[in-house]
Amino acid sequence: MITCDLLVIGGGPAGISAAVAAGKAGLKVLLLEERERLGGQLTKQTHRFFGSVAERAGTRGIAIIKDLETVVAQLENVEISLSTTALGIYEDGVSTALKSGKMIKIKPKAIVVATGAFEKFLPFENNDLPGVYGAGAVQTLMNIYGVLPARRILMIGSGNIGLIVSYQLVQAGAEVVGVIEASPKIGGYLVHASKIRRLGIPIYPSCTIKKAFGQDRVVGAELVRLDEKWKEIPGSQFTVDCDAICLAVGLNPLIDLLGQSGCQFKYIPELGGQVPIRDESMRTNVPHLYIAGDLSSIEEATAALLEGELAGLSAAKQIRPGQSLEARMEEVKTHLRALRSGPVGEKIRSGLSKLTGEALPTPSPRTNAIDELSRTGIASPANLAGVLPDEKRKKTRAYAVIECYQQIPCDPCVHNCPFGAIKPFSDINDLPIVDFDLCTGCGQCIGRCPGLAIFTVDETRDGDRAKITLPYEFLPKPVREETVDLLDRSGKCVGQGVVKSVLNTPKQDKTTIVTVEIHRNLVQDVRQIRVVQKS
Amino acid sequence: MKNKASVVIVGGGITGTSTAFSLAKRGVKDIVLIEREGLASGATGRCGAGIRQQWGTFQNCLLARESMKVFENFQEVLGTDIDIELKQKGYLLLAYSEKEMDQFRRNVEVQHQLDIPSRLVSCREAKEIVPFLNTEKMLGGAFCPTDGHANPFLATKAYAKAAERLGVEILMKTEVKAITVVNDRIKGVHTSQGFIETDKVVNAAGGWSAQIGEMAGLHLPVYSERHEILVTEPVNPIMDPMVMSFSYNIYCQQTPHGSFIMGYGPQNEPRGYNVNATWQFLETMARKAAWLLPPLKNMRIVRQWAGLYNMSPDRQPIVCESEIVKGFFMGIGFSGHGFMIAPAVGTLLADLITGSPLTWDVVLDLGRYDRHETIAEPSVV
Ligand SMILES: Cc1cc2nc3c(=O)[nH]c(=O)nc-3n(C[C@H](O)[C@H](O)[C@H](O)COP(=O)(O)OP(=O)(O)OC[C@H]3O[C@@H](n4cnc5c(N)ncnc54)[C@H](O)[C@@H]3O)c2cc1C
Ligand SMILES: Cc1cc2nc3c(=O)[nH]c(=O)nc-3n(C[C@H](O)[C@H](O)[C@H](O)COP(=O)(O)OP(=O)(O)OC[C@H]3O[C@@H](n4cnc5c(N)ncnc54)[C@H](O)[C@@H]3O)c2cc1C
Repeated sequence: MITCDLLVIGGGPAGISAAVAAGKAGLKVLLLEERERLGGQLTKQTHRFFGSVAERAGTRGIAIIKDLETVVAQLENVEISLSTTALGIYEDGVSTALKSGKMIKIKPKAIVVATGAFEKFLPFENNDLPGVYGAGAVQTLMNIYGVLPARRILMIGSGNIGLIVSYQLVQAGAEVVGVIEASPKIGGYLVHASKIRRLGIPIYPSCTIKKAFGQDRVVGAELVRLDEKWKEIPGSQFTVDCDAICLAVGLNPLIDLLGQSGCQFKYIPELGGQVPIRDESMRTNVPHLYIAGDLSSIEEATAALLEGELAGLSAAKQIRPGQSLEARMEEVKTHLRALRSGPVGEKIRSGLSKLTGEALPTPSPRTNAIDELSRTGIASPANLAGVLPDEKRKKTRAYAVIECYQQIPCDPCVHNCPFGAIKPFSDINDLPIVDFDLCTGCGQCIGRCPGLAIFTVDETRDGDRAKITLPYEFLPKPVREETVDLLDRSGKCVGQGVVKSVLNTPKQDKTTIVTVEIHRNLVQDVRQIRVVQKS
Repeated sequence: MKNKASVVIVGGGITGTSTAFSLAKRGVKDIVLIEREGLASGATGRCGAGIRQQWGTFQNCLLARESMKVFENFQEVLGTDIDIELKQKGYLLLAYSEKEMDQFRRNVEVQHQLDIPSRLVSCREAKEIVPFLNTEKMLGGAFCPTDGHANPFLATKAYAKAAERLGVEILMKTEVKAITVVNDRIKGVHTSQGFIETDKVVNAAGGWSAQIGEMAGLHLPVYSERHEILVTEPVNPIMDPMVMSFSYNIYCQQTPHGSFIMGYGPQNEPRGYNVNATWQFLETMARKAAWLLPPLKNMRIVRQWAGLYNMSPDRQPIVCESEIVKGFFMGIGFSGHGFMIAPAVGTLLADLITGSPLTWDVVLDLGRYDRHETIAEPSVV
């Protein structure tokens, strides 16, 4: 029987964060991870994370996990057991796990369960054909094993996962024939939607899949439009050719282990379905049993890290009373509340209030003119007008255009302006506002925006030439003086331009910053370039 | 929901559904069966579902043999097309002492009086039946080729469907909360869905039967005890019979779809309603099974769980009408073998409720404890 103070089950961001918090508070911690390495979902997230800089947003998921691994490795009292699957939590507080084909037993003083979530499936005809994948599986194949599962992919679901995996598929060289969404609005963050629109990927709102075509593998799909009551519109069927259908229709918390432990659950769709009942300190109804991360409610890594820390601190407080951990616990709770306070946190807030009965404060609704944008993923002229400087300022110096129109909990831009030109946020859900008196158009912020939504424009020169600087994350990289295609917000080619500079230092971490000379009439249209393939 | 019934049956396990079917088949109308959760959610859905005719008393052999006849002809008797996955590849009982061997010898004699085709086997014969059986320390055993096991979910469902076809109303997710008794007679049952007027109640509440007794003001001499069990991944068919030993304390079978199901009787298990699984069971079970049936050591366990044995003083069922409260019938205290005799128990309860003479001459009443006529069955798990 192995003994320890705290057993952490699951080595994703939530579990690691719990282990680190408890380890720093002096607890002897054992962390179990089923996979052969730590990181959970983060191990396949090659994109820059949105969220709070304090929680490492703005860096890629795979980089965040490297950081976390380093931190946890430095704590001598935290032991990590990889390739170890927790099997059960028994009534006497003993947990069992499978390691190297043998059952091991662990008797901890407290347990944090952070097992994450699993993907939902969708019923439609032929959904058992080879070629129907979960988005997570596609990401694992592609980003962990370097295997491209298909060439032409239809993505079902426009939440963040559907949008981000579509983007990554294009990075890996596949074609995404479309992203369909049953709701009339795009589910994920609009910056992610805009990112794939300008690659030319269509998004179909109010649309669902009827069936997959194919004998022994997927060769296409029949889609149908939905009316405002989500009913199929007769005669609106259309078909697409594809060799894979990728499902990104949500996640369910992985609660099995908790079920055995006697933990109570409640069905709260806003939080991901059947979720464990817990208090604000991540304590369940079972004494000494805590939870954190996607298991507690489907959110994102920032929330997972904070909840993990909270769970670790709660356990430390219970096992070793007398340490002054309350102040940090309160701070973490405040962070979490702030994170969830914006318009996109609405769902989580209402879910949590069902869980705890307490109403979270709703901020005064700030109206955004983003209706059109949330259907198409393409900013309107009115949206754009709101973020540009006046005509006089345009002529004096280069300037940044931050095409971030939706309030989301994300703040890396604010922390990456050397001139303090992006106004400090009072709330992580604030929209970035550029002070054009301070902005020099230096472009430092471009590569740090997880939404790749920042561009700089230089129209100071006379004549019909102007420059646009934009982020570029594809191969091959353009070279100086090369002529490239210019794409607008819908991916349409609107002309050609000449590359004037390519910034690709290690600090850029693969987000190349490209400056292109283009016709001045196009500066507010061009948002993407395409390297012309030489034959 | 009916607010009046001729009989209210409490419990949707194999006992309650079999009784509902037998009663309805005799033409009794307005029967209501009440189940707190779902069909077979109690011991029935958690059991090994072994059907053994190799008993040591005439009465038990009779009940098991008569029940096996029903299981063998289930579709015909019930008029159902549900296949209960009956596997009749025998029960192999193992003996580890002369005393045990002698007992088997006496049992086989009793069994032969009822034409149960059992026989004693040597270790060599046992190995012919189960080639990988470890016969170390074994002296021999007994084997009955017509014993077997079935799928308890399908059997319960088939009984319930057949009963419903005959007009029985089955209420699930409905709990019996109280029973009204006036002048020592049943007057009605209070459920979570409302009151049902009736003068007959059948206590078929398995592990919770003592609670139903309390509701009618009766202290029934039964208690409950946790028994654990597990199931493995499915593999090719390699083991025909149920292998069982009283002294080594194990039973193990391979279901038609390939999984092994196995368990053993716990030591020092406190009385109560706890049905949590334990890691200790996994370890002990794995050790026992791997010693006796060595190839099993490479198999993966896919699930473990526990259920309640409802224990009576002589480890034998209590099937009777209360002598104190008229109209209070019970089929309880099965002490770990209530699945295999449920068809016969249903028939007996139907006899009692309709006031007919008992189909078989058996003594299963509560009064036997006062009369000091307890049943001396030597072959219980
Ligand atoms: C495509 C995609 C894009 C995303 N983008 C972002 C983003 O930009 N910003 C952001 O903040 N968030 C993002 N997220 C969400 C973020 O990845 C998750 O919210 C976060 O990883 C949840 O952390 P977790 O620790 O709760 O769970 P996970 O990361 O899922 O980790 C759970 C771990 O538990 C292990 N485990 C499970 N069961 C057992 C067991 N029985 N025994 C041992 N170990 C077990 C698993 O192997 C896994 O490693 C994204 C998610 C996806 C899928
Ligand atoms: C691990 C294990 C292995 C076993 N192996 C075998 C075997 O191999 N062979 C064999 O013959 N027997 C075996 N048994 C015994 C067998 O399972 C039982 O004897 C038999 O299933 C009893 O059936 P029942 O219908 O009387 O009780 P149950 O199946 O327990 O049904 C009682 C029902 O009553 C319901 N109930 C209780 N209280 C209320 C209330 N207040 N209101 C409404 N409903 C209520 C419960 O929800 C339950 O569904 C085993 C038992 C266990 C636990």
